[in-house]
Amino acid sequence: MSISVLDALQPAKKPALIVLVLVFGLFVGAWVHGKYFSDRSPIQPIDFSHRIHVTDNEIPCQHCHIYAERTPVAGVPSVSKCMGCHNSVPSVRESPEILKLATYWENREPIPWIKVYDLPDYVHFTHKRHIKAGLACQECHGPVETMDRITRVATMKMPWCVDCHTEREVEHGRDCWTCHK
Amino acid sequence: MSTFVEKLRQYSKPGYYDEFDYHWTMTIDLDRCTGCEACVVACQAENNLPIVGEERFAQSREIKWIRIERYWEGEYPNIKMGFIPMLCQHCDDAPCETACPVYATYHNQDGLNTQIYNRCIGTRTCAVYCPYEVRYFNWFTYTWDEPLEQQLNPDVSVREKGVMEKCTFCIQRIRIAKDNAKDDDRRRVRDGEVVPACVQSCPTEAMLFGNSKDPEAKVSKMMKNTRGYTVLKDLNTTPSIVYLKKVHA
Repeated sequence: MSISVLDALQPAKKPALIVLVLVFGLFVGAWVHGKYFSDRSPIQPIDFSHRIHVTDNEIPCQHCHIYAERTPVAGVPSVSKCMGCHNSVPSVRESPEILKLATYWENREPIPWIKVYDLPDYVHFTHKRHIKAGLACQECHGPVETMDRITRVATMKMPWCVDCHTEREVEHGRDCWTCHK
Repeated sequence: MSTFVEKLRQYSKPGYYDEFDYHWTMTIDLDRCTGCEACVVACQAENNLPIVGEERFAQSREIKWIRIERYWEGEYPNIKMGFIPMLCQHCDDAPCETACPVYATYHNQDGLNTQIYNRCIGTRTCAVYCPYEVRYFNWFTYTWDEPLEQQLNPDVSVREKGVMEKCTFCIQRIRIAKDNAKDDDRRRVRDGEVVPACVQSCPTEAMLFGNSKDPEAKVSKMMKNTRGYTVLKDLNTTPSIVYLKKVHA
């Protein structure tokens, strides 16, 4: 007759199994959420395509995001900016997405775009400085010109910022008060 | 290994720790200070300081990055009143910096004593170590009633419960001045371009702010005034604020 420690563990087996399954489920759930249900590529109120605007029609980024060069925020174009062009583009005027735009315009409502790149409030990032340093928009925002729906390509977390500041040897670029204040 | 030796050599070079890019310094002329508290109000508005309310004020949980300390001298009827505006001294050898376990407060390249809110874990050790009592702790998350939240400064974080805060020498204004300097292809900020809220609001111009590394700056000339002194000098904290002594007629 052998003495086994497993017998003593017998009553704990069932709860242990349940905990194991739960922990496993948690990891699987987190992975599935991150992969398929995170808001990296949210469905926008209007199915706006950067590919059509940038690649097909060759509109530069700062034609619409006009504040990028001179203020901290790049700015989302106003509805009037959209209508300015689309009023005079008869070929697409009757397409369903443009009709949605026209509805917002007639109701005098802003389009409730969903923010894809959102930084916490304690981060004071400025577009101006980065544009003036000669960075292309694509270096942080990825190949936007090929995207039909905007997808977040970078983590926008601090290590990602600091890596770039270190690599490019930004003067005092790693001082905390550069971004946090 | 070689980089380690290189760094060690760099760090052990005399003056390495005092070598600042800028050295922001303030002078406060106590002869001119009338104790009007305009600086206190300006700071409150600029830096999103919460209004804690009467009850918490009585528990000395008020948050004021700059305060006016009041002193009485002499016996009645020959009594005189003096004021000292007290704010973070941005000591070059700051006791608070040695205490922080998470490096939320440190000395940066501009000779400023920083406070990083999102890194702070609220041990309050720095406040204990500070001989000037100018660090303030957020015991609660304060809110602003509508529509007062509209007047919050977007360039300054709104602090939450459990975070230490203190005067930053209006870092947001320093950053804007540096930003403008870069736009004009200037490497340096000109004297008088950075004006903190308290200095801007002072009606008697008792306060001066500038880069003391620049010998031509107004502030470096003012520092050499014979009335100049630093508070609690024997503690060897080497503050960045020079007070000019009040002269009694």
